[in-house]
Amino acid sequence: MKTIDIDIRGQICPSCLLLTLKELNLNSAAVRAGHTEIVVTTDDRQATTTIPVTVERMGFRSTVVRMDDGYLVRIFSNT
Amino acid sequence: MEQGYLLIIATSLAIGLIAGFVMHRADFCTTASFRDLFLFRDFFLMRQMILLIVVSMVLFEFGRLSGLISLYPFPLLGAPSLANIVGGFIFGIGMVLAGGCVVGSLFKMGAGSLASAAAFLGMLAGSAYYAEIHPQWSAFAKSTRLAKEAITLPQWLNLSPGALLLPLAAAGSLWLMREFRAGRMQRPAFALGHLAPWRAAVILALLGFASYVLIGMPMGITTSYSKLGAGIESLVAAGHVSNLEYFSLQPLNYTPPFSDQAIQGGPGPGLDAIAAIQFPLIIGIVAGAMVSAVRVGEWRLQWRIPRRQLLSALTGGLLIGLAARMAPSCNVWHLWGGMPILALQSLFFVAGLIPGTWVGARLLTRFVIR
Repeated sequence: MKTIDIDIRGQICPSCLLLTLKELNLNSAAVRAGHTEIVVTTDDRQATTTIPVTVERMGFRSTVVRMDDGYLVRIFSNT
Repeated sequence: MEQGYLLIIATSLAIGLIAGFVMHRADFCTTASFRDLFLFRDFFLMRQMILLIVVSMVLFEFGRLSGLISLYPFPLLGAPSLANIVGGFIFGIGMVLAGGCVVGSLFKMGAGSLASAAAFLGMLAGSAYYAEIHPQWSAFAKSTRLAKEAITLPQWLNLSPGALLLPLAAAGSLWLMREFRAGRMQRPAFALGHLAPWRAAVILALLGFASYVLIGMPMGITTSYSKLGAGIESLVAAGHVSNLEYFSLQPLNYTPPFSDQAIQGGPGPGLDAIAAIQFPLIIGIVAGAMVSAVRVGEWRLQWRIPRRQLLSALTGGLLIGLAARMAPSCNVWHLWGGMPILALQSLFFVAGLIPGTWVGARLLTRFVIR
């Protein structure tokens, strides 16, 4: 399993969703096949809603975990 | 200090504190509600904005009919002109580039965002710069003025406010009820202490109503950005500031509710009615958001921002500051205050804001976030 980490802390809205979608689109086949997952570190509260809602609409799954300095959003295959 | 001012200052501060807290918890962002229509075809936040407007429409009309609201339409509104549309257009570009509007940047700054602080500084500079072009701009506004005698759409159509507002509010309510039932007004949220945006919309409408009843007008803050900007500018160029016509204007001249004395205020430096109404609101929003962020353990200085985005925030802030004086006023004043009574200036402002947001979204994805 390969993990792609992206850290979007401190950036302006809507960097979180835009950069996540860019990464996901670049690697969508690998994520869909279950070889790769994307882990987003963000301190944007809004992104903890918009990322899961958007990627689930695209057929992926996600989890959100709170950490000391922000949130971790994990995006992975539906299967 | 006289009693009237005390009530105004205390009310504004309290409203600001609650609004800042609520907006931070719900991530209630006006900019996103327009921007995400174009960027992600996402109507979720726009539905919340419509809810806020419909609830305010009902509350303001109830206030007018019951006599709780005596100043109608509220002060500082005027005849519509092309200036409102152009102002709205530039405002739309600015708010997308800044990552938040005037109020949005305040609550994000309160939560520790340095990008929003840069946008705030840009707004002060843009608002002060407007004074340089005011003579030309106000001539343009005057020459493109429409409907000289009418401030609201019902006035322009020669209707009583209720004849238009009540059917519109009823239709809006029916539509919103359908959206609620279909589950489109809520979505899962994982942020700690999250407040559902629809609840925030209702609270913000109630705050706008409280402001209208107690102060005599809904929430607005941008005139005081000129005042702050002019105050800072006069530290280095006092002579120039005192020569500018714009800073000597006193557009606000009214007798607040619960007072028998008229008070005045304008965009120039100095503590007047504008300062009493708007400074406590600004301080309240920043402090309310800060308290909210601290309480969920999420307050931290967000300083690791890409240079390109910092520049975008600053530029967006400049455009917002300038546009808020050209329009005049900001999106919150027009959307949460003017739209609920169908003020013509506000309808024009929104007509410019929508294409402006589209242009801003194009610029953002092309040059800023890549």
